[in-house]
Amino acid sequence: MDQPQSILTAILLTPLIGSVAIALMPPEWARKLAIAFSAAMLALSAFATQSFKPGTAGYQFEQIVTWITSPFPVQYHVGVDGFSLCLVVLTAFVTLMAVLASESIGDNRPKLFYSFVMLLTLSILGVFVSLDLLQFFIMYELELVPMYFLIAIWGGPRRDYAAMKFLLYTFFGGVLMLGGLLYLYFALTVDNPAMVTFDMVKLAQVAPLLPKSAQLIAFLGFFLAFIIKLPSFPFHTWLPDAHVEAPTPISMILAGLLLKMGSYGLVRICMDFFPTVFIDYGHWIMALGAFNIVWAAMACLVQTDMKRIIAFSSVSHMGFVLLGIGSLSAAAVNGAIFQMISHGVISAALFFLVGCVYERTHTRDIHEIGGGLAKEMPYVFYMWMFAVMANLGLPGLAGFVAEAAVFYGAYTSPMALTTAPHHAMVQTAIVIACTGVILTAGYMLWLFKRLFFGELLAKWQGHLSDARSTEKVVGWALCLSILILGIYPMLLINQYGNVADAVTRGVVSKMSISQKPETQL
Amino acid sequence: MDQSIDYWRQVIELSPWIVATPFLVGFGIILLNTLVGSSTKLVKTLSMVASVGGVLYGFIHSLLLFQALVKHPELVPWVKNIPYFTSASFTFTVGVLIDNLAVFMMLVVTSVSLLVQIYTHGYMREDPGYSRFYCYLSLFTGSMLGLVVATNLFQSFIFWELVGVCSYFLIGFWWNKESAAQACMKAFVINRVGDFGFLVGILWFFAVTYSVWSGHPVLQFFDKDGYDVAGVIQKAYLAKNLDVQTLWFISMVMFMGPMAKSAQFMLHTWLPDAMEGPTPISALIHAATMVAAGIYLVARAYPIWQSADGTPGGMGLTFVAIIGAATAFMAATIAMSQYDIKRVLAWSTVSQLGYMFVGLGAGAYTGGLFHLFNHAFFKAMLFLCSGAVIHGLAGEQDIRKMGGLKKSMPITAICFLIGTISISGCPGFSGFFSKDEIIGAATAMDPMLGGVMILTAGLTAFYMFRVYFMTFEGAYRGNAHPHESPLVMTAPLMVLAVPSILSGYLGFNFASLGAISFTGEHGKAFSNWFGSFIYFKQPVFEGINGTVMLSSIGFAAAGFLVAYLMYVAGSLKWNQAIAESKSPLVQGIYQFSFNKWYFDNLYMGLIQKVILPGFQAFWKLIDILIVDNIVNGAGIVARGMGEGLRYAQNGRGQYYALVIFGWVAGLTVLVFFLR
Repeated sequence: MDQPQSILTAILLTPLIGSVAIALMPPEWARKLAIAFSAAMLALSAFATQSFKPGTAGYQFEQIVTWITSPFPVQYHVGVDGFSLCLVVLTAFVTLMAVLASESIGDNRPKLFYSFVMLLTLSILGVFVSLDLLQFFIMYELELVPMYFLIAIWGGPRRDYAAMKFLLYTFFGGVLMLGGLLYLYFALTVDNPAMVTFDMVKLAQVAPLLPKSAQLIAFLGFFLAFIIKLPSFPFHTWLPDAHVEAPTPISMILAGLLLKMGSYGLVRICMDFFPTVFIDYGHWIMALGAFNIVWAAMACLVQTDMKRIIAFSSVSHMGFVLLGIGSLSAAAVNGAIFQMISHGVISAALFFLVGCVYERTHTRDIHEIGGGLAKEMPYVFYMWMFAVMANLGLPGLAGFVAEAAVFYGAYTSPMALTTAPHHAMVQTAIVIACTGVILTAGYMLWLFKRLFFGELLAKWQGHLSDARSTEKVVGWALCLSILILGIYPMLLINQYGNVADAVTRGVVSKMSISQKPETQL
Repeated sequence: MDQSIDYWRQVIELSPWIVATPFLVGFGIILLNTLVGSSTKLVKTLSMVASVGGVLYGFIHSLLLFQALVKHPELVPWVKNIPYFTSASFTFTVGVLIDNLAVFMMLVVTSVSLLVQIYTHGYMREDPGYSRFYCYLSLFTGSMLGLVVATNLFQSFIFWELVGVCSYFLIGFWWNKESAAQACMKAFVINRVGDFGFLVGILWFFAVTYSVWSGHPVLQFFDKDGYDVAGVIQKAYLAKNLDVQTLWFISMVMFMGPMAKSAQFMLHTWLPDAMEGPTPISALIHAATMVAAGIYLVARAYPIWQSADGTPGGMGLTFVAIIGAATAFMAATIAMSQYDIKRVLAWSTVSQLGYMFVGLGAGAYTGGLFHLFNHAFFKAMLFLCSGAVIHGLAGEQDIRKMGGLKKSMPITAICFLIGTISISGCPGFSGFFSKDEIIGAATAMDPMLGGVMILTAGLTAFYMFRVYFMTFEGAYRGNAHPHESPLVMTAPLMVLAVPSILSGYLGFNFASLGAISFTGEHGKAFSNWFGSFIYFKQPVFEGINGTVMLSSIGFAAAGFLVAYLMYVAGSLKWNQAIAESKSPLVQGIYQFSFNKWYFDNLYMGLIQKVILPGFQAFWKLIDILIVDNIVNGAGIVARGMGEGLRYAQNGRGQYYALVIFGWVAGLTVLVFFLR
């Protein structure tokens, strides 16, 4: 079967047309249009998956339109491999879920709201399908605009502060990335003028040939930008604030998709372009990941705001991505990618469920809610139970696959071999990260208990209602996908597995050149 | 039956359905409840029929498997794997491993689960969560069977956690009870502590043997080419990747998993609290099957606990035996002073699990598993009896408010008595045979260890008869209206009474009676049926050491006698003496036992006074001191930038952007040339 070459452009255009259409049509159509366009996006990405050939090396559905070539090349270049395709599908899916979950929040200025959501989706999709670094950067920055307004207009009481903090951090990250990008460009000009390009496919071949020091500086620009987005300690503080103030559907997109832009960039750009940095400093990246996992989990144990707990839990779970990619084991990188997708679905589910509770109680404070909600809202209770179990990494659900792959992969990785220079540090980091399984169980179950178990407070008697039908649909869709990914992870791994293997092989092959282990001498 | 070998081969090849069926039933019930609702009679009946049917099928199929194994031992071990996770580094598989050990455990799980599910129909009939309860029971049965047939350590870990989560759901089944909410969380978290050790142990083991697996499915329990746990340890040892000490440490770290799941010393505190769950699951999960998973795992991955150089015994097994003995003794001393009928049984379970570990640790592989087998039946029966008592007394669990129930619930009383006799190790009843094997092996390993086990046997007889006498003998002290339970509840009791008496003879050969040695040596050994079916590498049979046997019988008899004199005859008034004693030593010992050796206080104190405040301080330190200083700085910047953005909103955004981008470009060029 011939592959539909312009499918990616079609996927990109859908939210763009959607956002314009919503803006032009009457407000009562806004929600329906948004659902229709998100569903169309999901259908298109499903179609793309259908005609995608998994296991084939390189990018598919590639499309290049050159604009100018001098003084520097500007082009439109899209394409996907299994990894980015998975994220495209995730984006379409989570967007549809978020739009469905906007039932109550979207009544306030619906045209503007849904229009912004569509614009946001455009930029996220743009990041995942772009194969040109400039285009990638523009898409990466474009997300700021709709997100800022979505938080600042529809957010909670402290929305101005949160939106500004989000804006500043992300903008700061963007500036760093721009710096890295320009530096990379200039470094290439000096190193190999014939090969100067912003094309990511070509950059993946030429950038690793740059001198170590140049790689390091360019890497730092990109890496800092991505770990601000991820987010990682010490640049994570925007996340809890943004989440707490953002409305439910925006939190779903924020945690489910936006954070993935950072982790996507870490694999796609940092690992592909700057392998020597990973070889020299991979153990520090792992240590940072382990620290994130444990420290954010500790932070969860001392919070009293349920949404803040879930937000910190995101920080903790994204630590697995750092731990995985730093280890340079194919299995762990594979797990890191799986974590992006599983966390995308699980965190969307959790924020959605937090929203369900918040909408009824109008407080996020666990003490004020006081427990016993299971009595009045059993349906929400069971969905919560499922999502809690998914979040604490219960086997059979999506979160476990990623965690297990990262742990097993990292512990058997080249970084942890007894011949590796920093193996003691790496092993310690992994064992510390493993304590995360206890802490995660602790804070998730504690949260769950304090919300749903025990006796219902008198003030809630008769004031709560169980899930509405839209909420049931969203809940079921999210929970089922978590279950399916957990029972049959090969569904995803078949798509992106070769990318994880290839990326890792790319880095490790440089290792034998730069380090020359004694065994080979 | 003269079916051809192909028939039996097919029986084995269809065995994955035994695991799949309960899961399908569980999901089916969830769907049914979602689509139709849980309150209608039809849904309730359907849930019950599907659940019982699923496990009944499992039981029948397990029996067929057993027959296949007896007729055609050459067909096993049978392994079927499918990939679960693949990457260039390694591939994880899940699958089904059928061998003697697995089939033995499948029989235990399906038979107890079947009886408990029938009993549940009577016990939970009035409960609004009836259908949900069957759903959980099915999911648990499926998970437990998945653990039993696991082909590798990775899969074991998957189902290990799944049985744990089912246990969590069932302990917290009555979620509006604060105590149940506490208990289920405690169970899960403590199990997670164990799982942490289990995980690190597997990781460590995997790392040291990583190069040896070389393309084969990893962490397998059995592989016909020798790429399984046992073979790989040997290969890694020869390749000097693994030395004896490392394997000791790995086995000890990994043992944290079994310690938590099987409630061993230090990680045991969750099990007595788990009694907050409905009684049928106390019988199924917290007595017969799930808590035995730890023993099963050690038996399954036995080579890890052995010495890497192939010599018998080893520090790993010694550690298992020591923990087991400490647990058995501790739990028995605590059980003596508890008043909640289910908690006494729970402590007794903890204690008996300790026995099983001593068996495995002391090299009585068959003996330990034999005790698992016998214990599953009599302890499930004891719990179901206690459930019948609680049911008949409208929820009363305090044995001080019972007494004389023999008259109003005779079937329950007789079954409880049989269980009590069996667990106390009275000759002729099932518990005696396996316990004697374990004590014999423990004595052979170290006389001290044997002594502790014999002493514990005496304590066991005391606390079990104490419960029996306080519950069923004497005069009724409560104010409910005791009544016998319906047949659907008593029938499972009566069925379980049969193996509680007789299952011991499966592991016994009457010929050894004639060869008892009273010189402190083992008598001549004769083969028995159980030992020829379940063994490690090759069957080992032990003769009877008359001295040990007699002393353990003597201690048990003494325990019984003391209980009788105190609680029936009333001629011995030690309990009053203790209660009235002013001696700090006596009171101290009593309180030590009554407060469960203060483990809960210690742990709660640690969590509330040390760990959580520690986290809080640490978090504050980092987040507020370090990060927020940056943020405060950022706050100032925020105000400044806010001013800037105000201009941007006035229509001068492009200048602002231009300035920033200009700066970036300039700085980058600067960095580049200054480098």
